[in-house]
Amino acid sequence: MSAVFEIRDGAVDLVPPVPVLKRLSPDPALRINILRGINFAIAPGEVLGLVGESGSGKSTLARVMVGLQPMSQGSLAFEGKPLITRQDFSAFRRRGALMFQDPVASLSPRRKVEQLVIEPFVIQGQAPPDLSARAAQLLERVGLPASIGQRYPHELSGGQARRVCVARALALNPSLLIADEPTAGLDVSVQAEILNLMTGLKTDLGLSFLIITHNLAMVRHVSSRIAILYLGRLVELGTTREIFARPAHHYTQSLIASEPQPDPRKRRSDLALKGEIPSVLARPVGCAFHTRCPAVRPLCKTAEPKLAATNAGRATACHYPIT
Amino acid sequence: MSELLLSVKNLSVSYDTEAGSLQALRRANLAARAGEVIGIVGESGCGKSTLASALINLLATNARVVEGSVDFNGRDILSLSAEEKRHVRGRHIAMIFQDPMTSFNPVLRLGDQLVDFQDQLDLPQREKRERACAMLARVGIPDPAYNMNRYVHELSGGMRQRVAIAAALLMTPDVLIADEPTTALDVTMEAQIIHLMRELRHDYNGAIIVITHHLGLVGELCDRVYVMYAGQVVEEGSTDDIYHNPRHPYTQALNACDPAHLEEAVATLPTIAGRLPDLVTPPQGCSFVDRCPIATTHCRNAPPAMVEVAAGHHALCHEARR
Repeated sequence: MSAVFEIRDGAVDLVPPVPVLKRLSPDPALRINILRGINFAIAPGEVLGLVGESGSGKSTLARVMVGLQPMSQGSLAFEGKPLITRQDFSAFRRRGALMFQDPVASLSPRRKVEQLVIEPFVIQGQAPPDLSARAAQLLERVGLPASIGQRYPHELSGGQARRVCVARALALNPSLLIADEPTAGLDVSVQAEILNLMTGLKTDLGLSFLIITHNLAMVRHVSSRIAILYLGRLVELGTTREIFARPAHHYTQSLIASEPQPDPRKRRSDLALKGEIPSVLARPVGCAFHTRCPAVRPLCKTAEPKLAATNAGRATACHYPIT
Repeated sequence: MSELLLSVKNLSVSYDTEAGSLQALRRANLAARAGEVIGIVGESGCGKSTLASALINLLATNARVVEGSVDFNGRDILSLSAEEKRHVRGRHIAMIFQDPMTSFNPVLRLGDQLVDFQDQLDLPQREKRERACAMLARVGIPDPAYNMNRYVHELSGGMRQRVAIAAALLMTPDVLIADEPTTALDVTMEAQIIHLMRELRHDYNGAIIVITHHLGLVGELCDRVYVMYAGQVVEEGSTDDIYHNPRHPYTQALNACDPAHLEEAVATLPTIAGRLPDLVTPPQGCSFVDRCPIATTHCRNAPPAMVEVAAGHHALCHEARR
């Protein structure tokens, strides 16, 4: 079956803020490449996890996918149709929904939940006649009582606000849901409820998901495939099981080892990953990860590794992958 | 056993709200000894932040101490005058907040703020700057002299939290309270902050109290854990006991919900069905009764007492010894 969403050779360049006087004659060389060579496809009914640290370009990628951020090169396709013009993206947003990271900030504080949930219909000019009933139906699907519809966002708990965002994303019967940090800031039991809700929707409605997160423990349970992003480059792609069992990229391995363990008997004494992710303004030459890599060799400092397939469905961008 | 630094005895705190008096903390007990790291764990609304605010005397204006005391250095710090409280706060009991961005003044240089924090020390200005600089180096800030002249927005999240830790440790407090110190950080930065706090505890002989809902942080850092639910401490024990042999059904459920707890990927994660009870009118019996898989009628009618299940391991449950 063909992919629900596909991105080929995606790249994003941003122009840094330029002092007012220099804006008249901008320096064309002053472009920061944020994302490069992004290739992946999401299959129908698949949950793809996009993992990376702050500053790796995860959220920029989500914005690119829904057309909020133009690409400097590369192509996007949704259900086989290319996304190029504003009309294409506008049509796509009827079938693909983005859930923003902060649920309370993404809900207008002056509107009731009911109005917020049916807002997508209004925006897309497809308002069904019985809006209240439709809102109640959507809220019910995400496990909220219809009475929540009469509340304002500030009267909701974190988990409830998150559910309202899911309900709103589901309003137009999308086939793809892009969720940016869907469980950030939630208690563990509420996090589990939201994840179970998403898994249920995948099974019941055949939805595809892209889950953007830095929480590995979470993504391990909900996604079937994982893409690891480091400083705007995909460094590893593979099935969740494979990646956790046999990470090929040193970054992936360090990331898995950094995850704090609730079991005190598994305490680590050493530190898997030292230093911070470099700034996009001072991207290291060669492999972007060489400044922190435990297995760095001379070649890594000069040549940038390409994302290469290692075996079926698996790819890594490393000169000396872990075998 | 090492010296007892801080002890909370039967502390109950209520908030006056429109709906009535909300019993945020109910007869909580806690003891912190020199050299140990204590974790206070629980979900939103369980009272952990109220307990922390009481420890450092920063309770909200609508909070009322109904009963109990917080004993520090032989005195109940809740009954101190405002001036005396100010002397304890920062000097003897310091706090690291969740969001390091808002812990600093955005329009003052970090170095100047670190000097100001030493207000209660009788040292020349220059020496205070040197102490601040040495402390920044200690928490792993590269080029501390340069960073003293920067503003908080110029640092990354991980660096900001390091500076916040440096600020709290400047006065070598007896008790250091860290409220969700890694929640705002990435996994890799979190690991580094945990590593730093582990290092610091060796050359710091005070007590560290970590407040979090993140069980990974507790597992990596704490010696002893207090689990809170609906304003009560429901279980207390060593980190190993709490993880490997939890006796309270809430602790068991909380452990089970954590995705990091499960070795294999599962389709459906365990959850805790139901909601927190209303704390304006807390249940007559056990607070967890509506969500408890092993609740009996007895649990509904009679409040459980703290049961010692083993040495240093207590649980607030009728069935703790089963």
